[in-house]
Amino acid sequence: MKSALLAAALLLSALFLPKLTGHDPYLVGVMIEVLRMAALASAWNIIGGYAGQYSFGHAAYFGAGAYATSIILTAYPATDPLLALVAGIAVSCLIALVTGSIVFRLRGHYFALASIAVAEIVRLSVLNLEFTGGAQGLLLSDLSFHGLDLNSKTPFYFGMLMLLALTMGVTALLSRARMGYYLQAIREDEDAASSLGIDIARCKNSALVVSAALTSVAGSLYALYIRFIDTTAVLDLRLSIEIILTAIIGGVGTIWGPLLGAILLVPLAEMLRSNFFGQTLVSLGVVSPDSPAGRFFADGLAHAHVLVYGVITVLCILFMPTGLLGLFRRER
Amino acid sequence: MLFVQSLVSGLLTGGIYALAGMGMSMIFGVMNVSNFAHGDLMMLGMYMAYFAFTLLHVDPYLSLVLILPVAFLFGFVLEKIFINRVILHPHQNQILLTIGLGLIMSNSALLAFTSDPKILTTAYSSSSITIFNDVFVSVPLLRSFLVTCLITALLYLFLSRTRTGMALRATSQNREAAQLMGIDVSKMSAITFGIGTALSASAGALIAPTYYIYPMAGHSFLLKAFTVCVLGGLGSIPGATLGGLIIGIVEALSSTYLSTDWKDVVVFTLFLAVLLLRPQGLFGDKGGA
Repeated sequence: MKSALLAAALLLSALFLPKLTGHDPYLVGVMIEVLRMAALASAWNIIGGYAGQYSFGHAAYFGAGAYATSIILTAYPATDPLLALVAGIAVSCLIALVTGSIVFRLRGHYFALASIAVAEIVRLSVLNLEFTGGAQGLLLSDLSFHGLDLNSKTPFYFGMLMLLALTMGVTALLSRARMGYYLQAIREDEDAASSLGIDIARCKNSALVVSAALTSVAGSLYALYIRFIDTTAVLDLRLSIEIILTAIIGGVGTIWGPLLGAILLVPLAEMLRSNFFGQTLVSLGVVSPDSPAGRFFADGLAHAHVLVYGVITVLCILFMPTGLLGLFRRER
Repeated sequence: MLFVQSLVSGLLTGGIYALAGMGMSMIFGVMNVSNFAHGDLMMLGMYMAYFAFTLLHVDPYLSLVLILPVAFLFGFVLEKIFINRVILHPHQNQILLTIGLGLIMSNSALLAFTSDPKILTTAYSSSSITIFNDVFVSVPLLRSFLVTCLITALLYLFLSRTRTGMALRATSQNREAAQLMGIDVSKMSAITFGIGTALSASAGALIAPTYYIYPMAGHSFLLKAFTVCVLGGLGSIPGATLGGLIIGIVEALSSTYLSTDWKDVVVFTLFLAVLLLRPQGLFGDKGGA
């Protein structure tokens, strides 16, 4: 009950956030990114956190949504974007079912390895095929959706917010429903779960399909929002890793963890990318801009955000493998 | 003759894949850890060979004398500081930790050496010899293959004839029983990770004269090394040796008869097919299912 109230209060305040910032394009852009990563990590959490099946290839579902939507809208510009989004869901579910049927009979390292292999096959196919735009990517031109101004960022803020609310709603339902208990039983002990009559492969497959469908919607929204996609942006292994990292930092297998992770990680990545820390050090006079150290902080640090992600991953696994929410819970 | 040509070059490259795969398979067998930093360790080996050549003017094959011990030490320390803390953790934590270490390595390399690809050009880089009248054999690849054979033979001797090697194999077969027999399994883990790193780095050094050297070079090799291991059966070293050769040949044949763009797709599809049809690997006996 308390968390339901908290959720309602958060959602309500999130509705007014763009207005509070005066629809500042930069800030709204960062907030969309927070919502996108939160939704992705939350969707991943269903299969990774609840069922304990760490997918290292979720970029495939994100990319499938983004590409299916873009391809349909470039070929038939008059199509309702919503229909293109549904097509993305269908493609993602298909990939999920094929992956699941191959690897869910196996345990341990295998699902992780196979999920990467599937994602790489999808990425390389998109890169080498003609109708996907290959290495050049796909550019979307004018879009219309029931009179909404799609040149502004605000509709996408609300789109991503709706998706995040939906994903977290599904997670909350799942943590109370029979299916959720089945998944957690599988995560804790597969043999015990199986001996209690749980159809393991079916449960894992349904969790993966739900997770893939939600991830795909995020991909479609992203494609409509950015209007340009290529394999590096939407299908790279790095995206899959960033999704997992976001969930891990917040707390795997919890409803709020992925959102918390995104709220922490996205602004940090944004500050590193725009070289906030380096500029601050230089402008505070801590390092002189002409010294080698100064040049590094002014220029090199902007390229170091993935390095920082690596350091965070290592520290997180070594010192708080259960995430921030896990730390909190243990202390209580 | 096209067929024989691709078979020969595939076999030669396959030797290098086998080397990388053996390192990964040993780490898997002894420590039960999937090492996702393996490709990046290979990349470090490529840079070591490059700098040994440009700064110290040491031939890349000769520089192995330097690279092997340095890489072994690096892997040994890496295990002592990081990996041994997660050795009893769930798989996903080990995977994420090694991914994190890999990201640190590749992006440090990016900061230090920039993303410009470097090319190691030796006097014999583009020379080749001709066999059966019209089959060309690249000299650097042939040399790499011979060195690979030498390293593999030494590894087999070490594992079968020395006490440490036997202790490693015992740990691989049954960690608890090995511990009960008085084997220091945590030291075995560190040695294994050291050897795995040395094998991976030497694979990188061996491929350096025929490949672009750049910070993200390891990524494509990581998945190939996994495919090699799964094909041979996770943990099996003879399996990894054969798996590497098979992957090399499959890759060469698919670039000849299909296209270079699709060769990796063929390799990863083979990977999935093995998981589907024979998850214990073609030669493995450790069941995965």
